[in-house]
Amino acid sequence: MMQIVATGLRATIQDRGRFGHLREGVPPSGPADPYAFAAAQALVGNDPGAAAIEIVGGAFTFHCESPRIVTVTGRDVALRGRDLVPGWTAAFARSGEVFTVVGGERSRFAYLAVSGGIATEPILGSRSAFLPAGIGRPLRAGEALPLGNARVDAERAGLSAPSPDYDTGQIRAITGPHAQRFTDEAETLFFRSDFRVEPASDRMGTRLSGPRIGAREGEILTCGVVAGAVQIPSGGAPIVLLAEHQATGGYPVIATVISADLGLVAQRLPGERLRFARVDRGLAIAALRDARAALEVIA
Amino acid sequence: MVRFDPLRLAPADAETTVLRLAKTLDHVASESGREIEIPTYYDGPDLVETAERSGVSVELLIALHSGRVYRAFFLGFLPGFAYCGVLDPAIVAPRLLRPRERVPAGSVAVADGQTSVYPFDSPGGWRLIGRTDVRVFDSTRDSPALIRPGDRVRFVAR
Repeated sequence: MMQIVATGLRATIQDRGRFGHLREGVPPSGPADPYAFAAAQALVGNDPGAAAIEIVGGAFTFHCESPRIVTVTGRDVALRGRDLVPGWTAAFARSGEVFTVVGGERSRFAYLAVSGGIATEPILGSRSAFLPAGIGRPLRAGEALPLGNARVDAERAGLSAPSPDYDTGQIRAITGPHAQRFTDEAETLFFRSDFRVEPASDRMGTRLSGPRIGAREGEILTCGVVAGAVQIPSGGAPIVLLAEHQATGGYPVIATVISADLGLVAQRLPGERLRFARVDRGLAIAALRDARAALEVIA
Repeated sequence: MVRFDPLRLAPADAETTVLRLAKTLDHVASESGREIEIPTYYDGPDLVETAERSGVSVELLIALHSGRVYRAFFLGFLPGFAYCGVLDPAIVAPRLLRPRERVPAGSVAVADGQTSVYPFDSPGGWRLIGRTDVRVFDSTRDSPALIRPGDRVRFVAR
């Protein structure tokens, strides 16, 4: 069991995501920053499908009743036990040893993984919380979570994974799928401008402000959407869809953020800027391959 | 929509497979799908205004809305939210310019030729003409979404 002492602003259980239920209108959920999540699972030796805890607003405090390997990943995060363990580094947790996830000024989503994984009952094939539909709920101080069985490999302590550069604000994206709904001028403006992250951003999407990106006249048919899709609503302010995106969308999608860079978008703080760099599909796939390869060596 | 892992299936192969599958799909027969009844209390906050906008009496609006069998086209927006249509063209119901921040679960709503039931308390821009006690989504059910694409949906006035 993992005993929760304090939760920070909001903590939920997330696994890779809930797939195969879009036809019922159920979005994938899962981690807002999939790479940081996958790195955390790899560091503690878990299967990529295991569940971890996504923490917003730091200060999540816990202890485990049996020895475990633990780690925290994300932007500007660390783990405080007897010593301070840097983010993206595995640590050995003795039974009963108290740890606190520490978020710095630039932290947003932190991932706490424990060897064995969080072993709550899956709902519709996934342990990911999706609060708007009453699936799962925010974790509470004082509750205990079941953990899966795991061989504790103390050798893992000190192992680290490469963190992406969260401070760059350079986000790679491929054009479309609705590129034909935008003039060349609008597309050029989109890829040449700085956008500012708005406070209303959340797990559903990152809302941006900046130059108004105008779509051509006319409606598009509502269609399925993916995380990374950059919607342009009628007001012209882009929204980058994230893990809790709605199953369908009715706004034209000017570009799609590549899978490897989703976390860079999710981890931008309100007020920070970002800019989209146009890449092709080949580079998008190569970047995903590189990201996975970086984690395979530690898994 | 089809999701695939581009490191396990090359995009070109995914495209070929999907196009081949699409060719073998039968057209959906008009009498297919299950029939779902939604018992409805027609007392929504936008009922009177929608009737006025459509130039009909409230009684006629209710008769028009409950007098059709709708097809569920697809689910989206929220789990269990089925886009059903089409409305009688006499019902004039553009989306609200300023969506409500909170629409109660179970609200029966219309917008732009379509009708649906809000599965959860959520923001929403459709016009609310009634409500139902039926739970259109329940993650503890074997089949969590009450209405599936292709189903025929009828609203029955209570």
